[in-house]
Amino acid sequence: MQIDWLAIAPEIVVAVTILGVLAADLVLPRPLKYWTATLAVVGLTLAVVPLILMAASSVETRSLFEGSYVVDDFALVLKGLFLIAGYLVVLMSVSYIESDRYYQGEYYLLLLSSVLGSLVIASARDLIVLFIGVELTTGPLFMLAGWRKGDIRSNEASLKFFILGVLSTAILLWGMAMLYGVSGEVRFDQIRSALADPSPAAQPLVGLAILFVLVGFAFKVSAVPFHFWAPDTYEGAPTPVTAYLSVSSKAAGFVALFVTVYVALRDRVDIWGPGLWALAALSMTIGNLAALRQSNIVRLLAYSSIAQAGFMLVPFAAASVAGEQLAEGLAATVVYLVIYALMNLGAFAVVIQGARRTGTGDIDGWAGLGRIDPRLGVLAAVFFFSLAGIPPLAGWFAKFVMFRAAIAAGSAAATSLAVIAAINAVIALYYYARVAKVVWFDEAPAGAEPATEPPAASLALTLGIAAVATVVVGVFPAVFAVFGEATRVLLASG
Amino acid sequence: MTLADYLPLALMGILAAGFVAVSLVASRLFSPNRPTPEKLAPYECGIIPETEATQRFPVKFYLVAMLFVIFDVEIVFLFAWATRWLELGWYGIAAAGLFTLFVLETLVYVWKRGALDWNVKTSGPLPA
Repeated sequence: MQIDWLAIAPEIVVAVTILGVLAADLVLPRPLKYWTATLAVVGLTLAVVPLILMAASSVETRSLFEGSYVVDDFALVLKGLFLIAGYLVVLMSVSYIESDRYYQGEYYLLLLSSVLGSLVIASARDLIVLFIGVELTTGPLFMLAGWRKGDIRSNEASLKFFILGVLSTAILLWGMAMLYGVSGEVRFDQIRSALADPSPAAQPLVGLAILFVLVGFAFKVSAVPFHFWAPDTYEGAPTPVTAYLSVSSKAAGFVALFVTVYVALRDRVDIWGPGLWALAALSMTIGNLAALRQSNIVRLLAYSSIAQAGFMLVPFAAASVAGEQLAEGLAATVVYLVIYALMNLGAFAVVIQGARRTGTGDIDGWAGLGRIDPRLGVLAAVFFFSLAGIPPLAGWFAKFVMFRAAIAAGSAAATSLAVIAAINAVIALYYYARVAKVVWFDEAPAGAEPATEPPAASLALTLGIAAVATVVVGVFPAVFAVFGEATRVLLASG
Repeated sequence: MTLADYLPLALMGILAAGFVAVSLVASRLFSPNRPTPEKLAPYECGIIPETEATQRFPVKFYLVAMLFVIFDVEIVFLFAWATRWLELGWYGIAAAGLFTLFVLETLVYVWKRGALDWNVKTSGPLPA
């Protein structure tokens, strides 16, 4: 059998790193356990090398295993996103996991397994491969969410996530089974040609199958009305895991959605287009309105991430419901996803350090943080204003491409979605700005002294990378637009 | 799009709700209701329960059972290769060997971490 080893080299590197972390965890004495984190970081860095080689090579599309596994520019961009997000989350975790007596080796093992799953999703062009990828991404997260075994909130987080996660998997699998039943194929391109002309008797089943698959993925991206697990899970899980959930796990759900609806179900946009429209409108509105009333910073970010999922769906849904400019919509959603990943990881790194400085997760408890720790205060303002979409920070470009794609799609339904998004962007500014206001304008509690000890080096590195990326992308958005352009290849066939 | 595309979903919902409603109502209407103390016992199997079922028992049963299931299922994959090992040649042997390596490392990990030790001192009293 002929295998293009370079195409699956990133997955192989991550898999070998997983084995290495497990072995290292076994042989290292407790004081040296931090080496497992180093191994994870080295592995994730090495996995980027084959991605760069493939991006530089002249081969456009590498198709493996009879077309079930495809590495094209779309896959490369998103694999890069998953690896970098995983890298930043590992850096964020180092000081957090080490400061309590958690099982370090197993933590990185599970995190890397989840990263491996999302790498598989980006290349999956087959129902079975996609399902394995989705499960490999979510499975380890059930355990990671409950990492603080002694903490009842962490247990609650894990249990709620598990029960709803399994329910969504069941619905997804049911939908996939019906898709297979209707088409008799598991590969996406073959499903597409089978669905192009189904028998009239199979027509209702096609509709049901597509909607079930849509609902399954809506759980994964925590879109309203399938978002109920998100706030409680985000609050109870360890903060680095929450960051991972709200960035990588959500992005993985989006990628799974892209490859399914754009490759396998593109001709049935009449069924899933309106569904996406409703998900986008509901997620933005309900996520933002609920975020207004949150007093805990992590819960605020949880609802913010639900609302952001709605914003990300906008170009995608607007193009679909209008039935044109699909590539435009996909490119805009991917650009939003990449920018959101960077600024949201930064925001969570701020939350970790801020909670350490103030000893609380209550937003009001952060009063005067800007005077206690000016650098952290500036970073908090940068990331939260970027999430709100204020220029010159990266968030504005994400919002800009979103509106541009939604308006370019042109139909009344697409334009009305853009209007809903515009109203929501204003609502969102209120609660993001409130964090900056508390940090800078409220009085610090009496007796608070300027912080002297610096943050842990790994956390500082995360903050630095995210902050630089957020500012650079905001000022030179063109460097990022190429990533969106590269994803058009997904729609190239047919 | 037409709303008719969503009709199957509505029909499915009505069918699901209808099935539950019909079963509940039918069993209420048609089944004779003659309770006896034996029938109302938690486990209607002829043996009178002496203690509550919700008591503590050693967690290691659970652990060992779970590990058994995991390794059992993993080994099942080797059967598929074993039936065709000659045709698959060295490529198949390498792939199966790699797979076995993954399983073996997990086994060593579980073993060394003490998950397979039966005679571990557990804290807290065990049921008599």
